[in-house]
Amino acid sequence: MKNRHLFWTCRALQAALLSAMVVSTSAWAQNTIKIGMITDRVGPAKPYAEPVAAGATYAVKEINARGGILGRQVELLVEDDQGRADISATAARKLVDAGVAFILSVSLTPATQQAQTVTLESKTPHITPSNGGDTLTTQVNNPNFWQTGPLGSTQIATLLSYAANRNYKRVALITENSDLGQLTNRFFKAGLEKAGIQIVAEEMVPRGSTSADAQMQKIRAANPEALFMTGVVTPENTLILRSYRQLGMKMPILGNYNLSVPVYTNVAKGLMDGVTFVDAFDPNKAETKRFIEAYKKDAGVEPYNLNGYGYDGVMLVADAIRRAGGVDKDKVREAMQATKGYIGVMGAVGAAYGFAEGKRTGFDTNGMVVRVYEGDKQGKVVHVGSK
Amino acid sequence: MNDFFELVVGASASGCIYGLVALSYLLITRPTGIINFAVGEWAMMAAFAGVVMLNDWNWPYPVGMAIMVVLMFVVGWLTERLTVRPLVEKGAPPLAPILSLLGMLVVFREAISIGFGPDPQPVPAAFGFGRLELGWLAGSYQSFFTIAATLAVFGAAWYFFERTLHGKSFEAVAIDRRAAALMGIHLGRVTAISFAVGAVVAGFAGVLAAPNVSAHYLMGMPLAIQGFTALVIGGVGRVEGALLGGLILAFAEQMTVRYAPVPPGLAMGVPLLLLILFLLVRPKGLLTAREGRT
Repeated sequence: MKNRHLFWTCRALQAALLSAMVVSTSAWAQNTIKIGMITDRVGPAKPYAEPVAAGATYAVKEINARGGILGRQVELLVEDDQGRADISATAARKLVDAGVAFILSVSLTPATQQAQTVTLESKTPHITPSNGGDTLTTQVNNPNFWQTGPLGSTQIATLLSYAANRNYKRVALITENSDLGQLTNRFFKAGLEKAGIQIVAEEMVPRGSTSADAQMQKIRAANPEALFMTGVVTPENTLILRSYRQLGMKMPILGNYNLSVPVYTNVAKGLMDGVTFVDAFDPNKAETKRFIEAYKKDAGVEPYNLNGYGYDGVMLVADAIRRAGGVDKDKVREAMQATKGYIGVMGAVGAAYGFAEGKRTGFDTNGMVVRVYEGDKQGKVVHVGSK
Repeated sequence: MNDFFELVVGASASGCIYGLVALSYLLITRPTGIINFAVGEWAMMAAFAGVVMLNDWNWPYPVGMAIMVVLMFVVGWLTERLTVRPLVEKGAPPLAPILSLLGMLVVFREAISIGFGPDPQPVPAAFGFGRLELGWLAGSYQSFFTIAATLAVFGAAWYFFERTLHGKSFEAVAIDRRAAALMGIHLGRVTAISFAVGAVVAGFAGVLAAPNVSAHYLMGMPLAIQGFTALVIGGVGRVEGALLGGLILAFAEQMTVRYAPVPPGLAMGVPLLLLILFLLVRPKGLLTAREGRT
């Protein structure tokens, strides 16, 4: 009899504890600020989306460790769009229905574009911290959408500023056929033409190619003074660099920000020496140094530029929500648009994020740096800005 | 002129890789009628075996290749036993194994993507990345090695089908499965071996292509498409058709890019036009099975 009484007392206590846990969990969930993130976990953007997402996840962890935003913890809801535009819109709808205060898109450019149809209609604040396509904020007039990755036009302006004393007259362009590769090529071409530089050869290596010899032979025959690489897919860029070495080509290579991803030091060993590239990451900047140390302590691995894009994206969102005093969509939108002088991990020393009147691209046009590979290692910053 | 001969070497090497993938299709589709689009993923898996054995563990190239052959044989054999045979034994329609193998394509790709991560990985070349010049012909060591290794694989496949009794049994199954079974040929064994050897041949394509393009989880699908195009051009009737189809495709691709006055975006459409042309003019491919042997 005594045992039975003890048994029922224990059961009652268990039930009470369980109820208390459920209530407190749901109360915690209700009190959190939800931020949604659309990433690509299985599709073609995965090599780039995952590190950006990892940086964003770390930022949320850091914010929560410091007490959250306005005293509320941050909850990151992650959706996988597989790099597909149609799924990206569905993921955005799911996040809106879940009550997110902000959506981060770190997937492919067309997927981010498609997700905008939902954020435009639902008036949900939406940001992409890493996409570099110039047309993301101009093709859809979506006042709820911002882009803080360095634009293709900023990349070419920075490279041309670096190469100003070389006075190039005849150059070649080579890319691959991904959406972002094509878009970056378009804006590099526009930048070169604007500078009065003649493009004597323009080639494209389709994704999945087993050789880039034909394209590189054609460029060699055109005898350009420099070769601009605008592709953003590592295997095809590696193929281009291998052909460049195999064919004994000597003209300088100037690459877009994809060549700043450290994977090249592993996969393109022996091919990188002397390659000039534009980057948005200066490891010697104080904010960047602090981020590197903190991330390394938490994750056990040293972060690189892609992690920094995700980190800055979440921090910009947190800053806007803080200034808005809550998660009211209109107030958050106004606060984000009013962002000025925000110094993040990305960008050169002195560079800051901010949105000019009527613009929703926030990366400092003078915030990129130029670096040159020394052997297989990324060298120090040799040039800053686009002026 | 130098450019042309330099390109002949590069295009031949690419054509050999396409040819190997086409041969992998052919080895399976001839005796079974099944088109296995997962051949590209087999090539990708072998490339990652190359990453582990040749790059990470630094094993000698011949040892790594030998183990890759055994590994891919097992992978091909298991693929047949687990995803094709149960369907065939239950009398599923011919489309069922093709769909099942498409499912395996996703399984293989995601398994590698999760296991090795999304970043491309390096695979060492057999003789490094130097350049060899033989008169007018010039190219990388890897291009010449790819051509030589492919010729060896095709030579072995030709010898097997043309000169051995086991090869004849494969051919008999390809001509009439029921009659072959009545003659005492074990259909299940022929099917299993065709998958196993098909995986090995696809594995060679992966390991030979990877030093240039790196090993990455998305490398399978383009190889599968290029190999299938080569198969359609060359025809499924004869082994040498796969190589011929691969070479024609690669030369069409690279000569168009180099010499045809078309914008770069349009040049990649030329091989597809070629494919449509072949389907219209020679739907059975360039080389058909010899009449005397049927």
